[in-house]
Amino acid sequence: MTVPAQKPVRKLSMKQRYSALTHDLDWTPTYVTEEQVFPHTTFEGIKVHDWSKWDDPFRLTVEAYNKYQAEKDRRLYAVLDGFAQSQGQLGLTDARYMNAMKIFLQGIPIHEYDAHRNFAYLARYANGPGARFAALCQSLDELRHAQTEIHTLSHYNKHFDGMHDWHKWSDRVWYLSVPKSFFEDALTAGPFEWLIAIGFSFEYLLTNLLFVPFMSGAAFNGDLPTMTFGFSAQSDESRHMTLGLEAIKFMLEQDEDNLPIVQDWLDKWFWRGYRLISLVAGMMDYMLPKRVMSWKEAFELYFEEQMLGGLFKDLEYYGIKPPRHVDWAIGEKEILSHQVYWILYQYSHAAAFSTTIPDAEDQAWLEQAYPETWPVYRDTVWNKAQRVMDEGGRYFNPGLPQLCTVCQIPMGFTEPGDPLTQCQRQSVYEGERYDFCSDGCQWIFDREPVKYRQSWLPVHQIFQGNCGGPTLPDVAAWYGLQPGDGAEYLGSPDHQNWLAWHGQAPQEG
Amino acid sequence: MAVKAMYDYDWPSRSAAEFYGDDQLVHVWFRGNVFFVSAQTFRFPKAMPFGELVGLCKGFFAADPDFVPDAMDSANWKVDGQPITPDLDRSLEENGVGHKSLVEFTL
Ligand SMILES: [Fe+2]
Ligand SMILES: [Fe+2]
Ligand SMILES: [Zn+2]
Repeated sequence: MTVPAQKPVRKLSMKQRYSALTHDLDWTPTYVTEEQVFPHTTFEGIKVHDWSKWDDPFRLTVEAYNKYQAEKDRRLYAVLDGFAQSQGQLGLTDARYMNAMKIFLQGIPIHEYDAHRNFAYLARYANGPGARFAALCQSLDELRHAQTEIHTLSHYNKHFDGMHDWHKWSDRVWYLSVPKSFFEDALTAGPFEWLIAIGFSFEYLLTNLLFVPFMSGAAFNGDLPTMTFGFSAQSDESRHMTLGLEAIKFMLEQDEDNLPIVQDWLDKWFWRGYRLISLVAGMMDYMLPKRVMSWKEAFELYFEEQMLGGLFKDLEYYGIKPPRHVDWAIGEKEILSHQVYWILYQYSHAAAFSTTIPDAEDQAWLEQAYPETWPVYRDTVWNKAQRVMDEGGRYFNPGLPQLCTVCQIPMGFTEPGDPLTQCQRQSVYEGERYDFCSDGCQWIFDREPVKYRQSWLPVHQIFQGNCGGPTLPDVAAWYGLQPGDGAEYLGSPDHQNWLAWHGQAPQEG
Repeated sequence: MAVKAMYDYDWPSRSAAEFYGDDQLVHVWFRGNVFFVSAQTFRFPKAMPFGELVGLCKGFFAADPDFVPDAMDSANWKVDGQPITPDLDRSLEENGVGHKSLVEFTL
């Protein structure tokens, strides 16, 4: 018997390997129905006819994924080691810069972890192998982001206040309920809404507004570790953006009945995300000793130009319209950061970051960046806050703010076209009143009142006695805040240490 | 709109009046003064006379160095958007102030 000569083994191309190791591992169940294996993809009303149409343009295999990510991690950890050994924190522009990183550490890594969890869920529960595999990769990315962010910033915890209990704070402290409620809103939605909320709106529509300010802020202010982390996450983010765009196009192409559902989610999550990143606006314009660009410029470039001018022109083909309430957001671009920082300034005695009145140099920058609006806030609030300082005091709000039921931010945003009258909106549902900062937040509540009436509003919880007690020291103790974590920057331990490290006499505290 | 879910989705409010016993939450808004960045939320007894609220405001808003407490005596008041002339001896409840009502004044 003769054995036929074997053909030499040919290596599979990248594309073939990808198919063999992902799509080809899929099978059609025969003992159970598809609905039993994937029970969560119908109740939201999204109709899918052919899951194989889900395209995954990256065509990564697990093997290739691990190789790339390990290499990136090696580079990042080498930078972290070098920075720690050379006492790199001494080369920051100013200790004040750390406030931006405190907010980042307190508000972001825990929700990277949330994203990891929900993409892991999609990696199991999406019907198609393309969608599952892309979700698996993103799930691993988000876990890695959580870990590397925590690791990157842990060095600073040895030298600065406001970083030691970020995990507890993110569950308890008032301003951190803003990102927490945002992500929990998305986590408790169905898988398709999650994809529009996080995959599309957050990772595509708003991602540059969130990440570029932090990462270029880091680069401008001598924070090599955070900048390196940013670069290391960048290639992941481009995959996430692609997944988000693929998700929305897939839904729109599968059935025309999906359009109104998708548009509704887009309207909701644009506004949710936009309100969330208003914290970034305050950080960019007021907390960076060396500025990259103003919030207004970033909004015009990354949102108005790239998204409204570019992306939405493409989506028009599917019948998608720019998000509801987008004009309200555009109308706020010259006032948003002033209002947010004024909120942070007057409540920073109950926070894990410090604030201070913009100094002469800051004020000159604000004046050229916001020639119309900065003078309004300088004259109405900052000059008065300065007078209080000059008389030996420090203005902190003596009470608790009215919170928006949806975004959970103190209701310090103003009526369109009137920078000095706060916006008040109320809805009554089943006999109970609920408050909102804007038409956008009210619209979101009115769509799903039963969801948002469950909001764990920090102020209401304090008054119900669920946060350690009725006084500020009680609540601060329950939050886990220590002296030096918050309040005024000038004279704070971070400020005193900074001066001492640089051989300058400490100031009067 | 009902929340889309795989079961009958119905959960109670976490800010309902019943959590506050004989008290209620009241938002007090000093309209036109953004030194106080937003309206303030307080927990007040429903039976508290309106005059007591005015007295508390005189102390509270003095955190603004330009505030003149006596000006409160001639303030214009609104409750949930409706102008009222408060009866200072009667309770918040009798003056139309409910749970999470917005009590607004201008000087
Ligand atoms: Fe991430
Ligand atoms: Fe991402
Ligand atoms: Zn809101």
